Amino acid sequence: MAAVLEFEEVSKHYGGWLSRRPPVRALDNFSLQVEAGEIFGFLGPNGAGKTTAIHLALGFMRANSGRGRMLGRPFGEARTRRRVGFLAENVALYHRPALHLVQFYGALNGMGGTRLRQRARDVLELVNLGSDAERNVAAFSRGMLQRIGLAQALVNDPELLILDEPTSALDPIARVVIRELLLRLKREGKTVFLSSHLLSEVELVCDRVGVMHQGRLARLGKTADLLHSREQTQVVARGIAAGAFPGAVASDGVVSFIIATASQRQVLEQIWKLGGEVVSVNPLKRSLEQIFLEVTQARGEGA
Amino acid sequence: MKPVWLIAGNFVREQRWPIVILLGWVALLSAAAGFSDLRRSPDDVFMMFQQVAVYILVFSLFFGASAIRNELRTRRILAVLSKGISRRQYIAGLLLGIVTAVVVYCLALGAAGSWVLPQAGVPAARFWFLLLGLLTASLLTACLALFFSIFLHPLLATGATMVSVGVPLLLAAVWKSPWAAVIPVYAILQGFLDLSGHDVALRGWMVLLAWGETGVLWLASAWLFSWKDVAVAVE
Ligand SMILES: Nc1ncnc2c1ncn2[C@@H]1O[C@H](COP(=O)(O)OP(=O)(O)OP(=O)(O)O)[C@@H](O)[C@H]1O
Ligand SMILES: [Mg+2]
Repeated sequence: MAAVLEFEEVSKHYGGWLSRRPPVRALDNFSLQVEAGEIFGFLGPNGAGKTTAIHLALGFMRANSGRGRMLGRPFGEARTRRRVGFLAENVALYHRPALHLVQFYGALNGMGGTRLRQRARDVLELVNLGSDAERNVAAFSRGMLQRIGLAQALVNDPELLILDEPTSALDPIARVVIRELLLRLKREGKTVFLSSHLLSEVELVCDRVGVMHQGRLARLGKTADLLHSREQTQVVARGIAAGAFPGAVASDGVVSFIIATASQRQVLEQIWKLGGEVVSVNPLKRSLEQIFLEVTQARGEGA
Repeated sequence: MKPVWLIAGNFVREQRWPIVILLGWVALLSAAAGFSDLRRSPDDVFMMFQQVAVYILVFSLFFGASAIRNELRTRRILAVLSKGISRRQYIAGLLLGIVTAVVVYCLALGAAGSWVLPQAGVPAARFWFLLLGLLTASLLTACLALFFSIFLHPLLATGATMVSVGVPLLLAAVWKSPWAAVIPVYAILQGFLDLSGHDVALRGWMVLLAWGETGVLWLASAWLFSWKDVAVAVE
């Protein structure tokens, strides 16, 4: 499949000469390809460079080196952005009635007439703001602002949706709504590039995730592959003593413990020999939190 | 062209309070000039018109120097520039927004002027031509200020614009040369400031030159602006 968003050895630093602040390397030879039709989770600790990468793609600034393409065109072309939707991390919009606002942003993308009016109403419904369409955005709560931000990003029915922490201010119900919305967009063949700190959410919707650290991509892979470790396996057994295996814990009448995948056969035979019964053997499921910690610690020590 | 109009409309909308308050001021002064007694003190009346003209020029300077900064500071520029709009269109939109406000001011001034000035021997046609000159000078000033504000703080941009406009004037005063026409803001305005005299004519080529310079400045601003990190916070 074709790459919809592509970074090739992109570096970006802030500050330096003429600036009072010391230079910061926000992106350091960063490369990534986001494929058409996937929901890509873009993770990383604060200051890892996620927002910087997104801003480069949208042409808000230029890279110091490297190149990138969005929908097959170099970064920074206005025509390409017509087919893209973007929600910024601290969304700032003009103060006017919600419906007008969404129409304004749609018109900037070349839309107009009854099609735009209808579409603006539809996207407000999509983000559950249908009943607030006439209210001024100035009086919106933070979560509502984030939702209207999403509405303006969706108004042009974008092929690529770039979201920078879109659910950070949302309540659980709104999060479910957005999650379903993203999955629906994916079914329609759209691509979603989602930067987020809400790991459980990323786990639920993303096909692939990339973990940024200090301006580089530290991990990249299918969400399922990353979460399932090949090296370690979790074994659950019944009818054996908890002390039989190191680190085993007993609860609800079963004993569970983690072993190296290589020693799986040996361990199972040992359980049977002890007269126990194997309940399940599964690749160890790690949480994204763990991966996150691994990445930051490994890099932190190395640096 | 449509995005340009949208940005312009948005600028006017966002700046509506300063624009309306300044319009109130322009209208008040224009009305005062319009209703004053010409026969008794024609020079006072001319003075009032000249004052308003200078105000309009200063407002353009103010709008030009602060337009981009406002949008950067509020970060609202991000959602706008994430749409299918180029930097060139964006700058054009801001300029068009400023022009719209200036046109309204000029119309207010023009209404009062064409009512009262013919009685003082200034033909209405000449007055409207002078107003076109004023509009042109204001646009060039706004464009200069906008250009400088891309890389300077609004206060410094204002200063730089005043220097750019003032230096040709100084050169002209010292050498009595046509240097004032290099950046013809003052040269054009002179027609206005000499409302009663008739000897300083506003020349068409100066107006054309000013429009040409505005065009060049617009392109230069757009080019410069395309290198600007718009996501970087400003205080
Ligand atoms: N305008 C700026 N001027 C100077 N440094 C900046 C600027 N913007 C970002 N940085 C620096 O660049 C690095 C990357 O920042 P970026 O905003 O891309 O991180 P992020 O991954 O989006 O973080 P977060 O999760 O907190 O949003 C950080 O070290 C940050 O301090
Ligand atoms: Mg960020």
